[in-house]
Formats: sequence, C-alpha cells, structure tokens
Amino acid sequence: MTYQEWFREDRLPHIYCTGCGNGTVINCTLMAVDEMGWKKEDTAFISGIGCSSRAPGYIVTDSLHTTHGRALAFATGVKLGNPDLHVVVFTGDGDLAAIGGNHFIHACRRNIDLTVVCMNNQIYGMTGGQGSPTTPMGALSTTTPYGSAEPAFDLCELAMAAGANYVSRWTSYHVKELTRAVLTGMQTPGLSFIEALVQCPTNYGRRNKFKQVLDQVEFMRSHTVLIQKLKRMEEQGEKFPDPVIPVGEFVRRNRPALGVKV
Amino acid sequence: MKLVIDERRCKGCNLCTLVCPYRIFRPGKTPNRKGTIIPELDRPERCTNCRLRHLYGRTLCGMCQMICPDQAIRWEEEKPNEPHKVAIEY
Ligand SMILES: Cc1ncc(C[n+]2csc(CCOP(=O)(O)OP(=O)(O)O)c2C)c(N)n1
Ligand code: SF4
Ligand code: SF4
Ligand SMILES: [Mg+2]
Repeated sequence: MTYQEWFREDRLPHIYCTGCGNGTVINCTLMAVDEMGWKKEDTAFISGIGCSSRAPGYIVTDSLHTTHGRALAFATGVKLGNPDLHVVVFTGDGDLAAIGGNHFIHACRRNIDLTVVCMNNQIYGMTGGQGSPTTPMGALSTTTPYGSAEPAFDLCELAMAAGANYVSRWTSYHVKELTRAVLTGMQTPGLSFIEALVQCPTNYGRRNKFKQVLDQVEFMRSHTVLIQKLKRMEEQGEKFPDPVIPVGEFVRRNRPALGVKV
Repeated sequence: MKLVIDERRCKGCNLCTLVCPYRIFRPGKTPNRKGTIIPELDRPERCTNCRLRHLYGRTLCGMCQMICPDQAIRWEEEKPNEPHKVAIEY
C-alpha cells in the first residue's frame, strides 16, 4: 500500500491556501502510518478546530473533528474506550497551546498512548492571523500590530516537562526527518508529541517579511540546528546563531503510560 | 515511468522547485485555464524515480512528491513509443 491510498480522493484538492505547509505534514504523517502497516479500520484521526485541524477530513479512516482545543480530551476518551485503536491527533498551535493548553499538559502527564502531530504555524491561521502563544517575539499579527511583546511557548520543552514519552520537532521542509519522527513516535508507547513547524503564507508569512512561500521555507531550512549540536555548542561556550530553531529528538523515554494495548 | 503534475490539484506554490536535486521543476510562466501558474518540467526523464523505480521496486527520492502540499505529483506508466521515453541509464 502507499500513503496516497489513505487520502480521500473525493475531497481533494483540500482548502488550504497555496503553499500552506499543512498539506506536507499530512503527507509525512500518512507515510508514517503506512510504514507502520496499520489497518484503516483500526486507525482514528482526531482534531480540534483550525486550518490544521481540518486534516482528518481528507483521510479515509474514521475521524473526529471536535471542538476547539479539545482534540486531546476526545482522543483520551477514544483511546481509553478502545485501546486497540491507533489514535493520531492533528492539532494547531492555537488549538493545542492556547485554548487547549490544559488538556495538553495533562495528556502528557497521563502519558496516554497517542501520537500528537502539531502543525505549528505560529499564528491563528483560520480566523485571520491573530497572535498565538507560539508567535515569536517581535512578529506581526493582527493582534500584535507593533510586534509581539511576549515570549513564546516552546511546545517541545512543555511536552517534555509535562511527561510525554517521545518529543521531537521538525519542519515542513524536512519531510524525511519529519516522517521518521512521526514513525518513531507511533512506535513509542505513551504520548508522542511531534511538532512540525509549518509556513502559513497567508496569515503569517505575508505580514512577516516572507513575501513568497519559498522565503519562509528557506528561513526554516537555514535556521534549524540539531538539538544535539546546540547542546554541544553550549558546553563549549559557543554563541548560538540568532534566531535559531532547535530541531530533532528532544526525548525518548519509558515513563509509565496509560491506555497502552496489552 | 514519467513524472506528471496534476493540474487539477497544483496550486502553483513552487515548493517542488526548492527540493529537486536535478532542478527538474522550474517556476512556470503562463497561467492555465484556472489561472494557476503550474511549474514547468525541465527534462523530467532525468528523475531518479522515473529511471530506476521499476528496478528497485519502490519509490526513490520522492522529495517533490512528499513536499507537495497538494498531492499533485505522481509517476505514471508510459504508453509504448511515447515521445518522452525514459532510458534506464542516463
Ligand atoms: C471555543 C472557540 N473559541 C474560538 C474559536 C475560533 N477559532 C477557530 S480556529 C481558531 C484558532 C486556530 O488556531 P490554530 O489552532 O493555530 O490553527 P491554524 O488555523 O493556525 O492551523 C480560533 C480561535 C472557536 N472555533 N471555538
Ligand atoms: S490561513 Fe495559513 S494555515 Fe490556514 S490554510 Fe491558509 S496558509 Fe494554511
Ligand atoms: S523524485 Fe527526486 S529527482 Fe525525481 S523529480 Fe522528484 S525531487 Fe526530482
Ligand atoms: Mg496555528
């Protein structure tokens, strides 16, 4: 089987804007699902609300498109109700870290056997570009017209501190690495959190000096550094490049997990 | 095999032009019927996947297909004696 067979052909092309990174993340996730060899009947995709959260609607399996921020709460119910199901959550930065922030930390604490893929475009894409908890300092959005004055959440650090068993970050440029990370996440029992930084040309890029789709992707390509390399640089007292996006595997461990199929 | 861009799906973002090691994709120039400017293919028979997919029995490289956010890139079997016949060695 190929990953293309997991798409609902009748629903394509999807509604995402030209050059939106969400479509790439769906490709990578489905490729990982396909490599896992899961059956369509045994797999469920759950999401909240947002552009990113529309992803399950383009996939042939059963899915739940739930209320804003509650994807993890619904997914917890699905997984505990039927631990035989493979449950994958698609969510956005707003969905996961703003309105759904509390569900996020508690799902990580409980370490429920889910794979959570967060498409982080650092903005509320669907509602027209309001700032989110991951909007970088200085970035423009409709709610931060003079540049965001707040420090942003690091979702990976958050997931790690809250107790997730597997945490990693890649971007929509790093398709092979992202696919491998999602695959490893799916193989790891407990909560696996994969953050995929994505370009949102319409609501983020346009306002933040990325005039073309390729400009923002090029930025992600050239500003990502492996987390291991950053640690090494820190030990040797070297200065980090600025800005820098740490990518790679943040943690893989074996804390007690909930809802693991026995 | 030959490389095709599905015009019904491509939205013209040009992400494929960024990833192909052979630079097979080039930004297009003329809008199609829908007003989308589809990338042009520069000698697509050079693509590793076109040449060696059957030999290896799996997708090789495939970067363009993976990054395409609109699932518009795929490979098709060629009909016999098609003008753009792909040779195994290039
Ligand atoms: C309870 C509730 N509050 C607010 C909204 C409005 N709303 C819809 S999507 C969204 C933000 C989504 O942002 P994110 O999760 O980052 O998704 P993106 O569109 O960026 O992929 C908001 C605030 C809503 N639908 N429901
Ligand atoms: S608004 Fe942004 S996140 Fe939403 S579809 Fe458009 S580019 Fe993608
Ligand atoms: S599969 Fe690789 S070599 Fe072939 S067209 Fe795509 S990116 Fe280029
Ligand atoms: Mg967002």
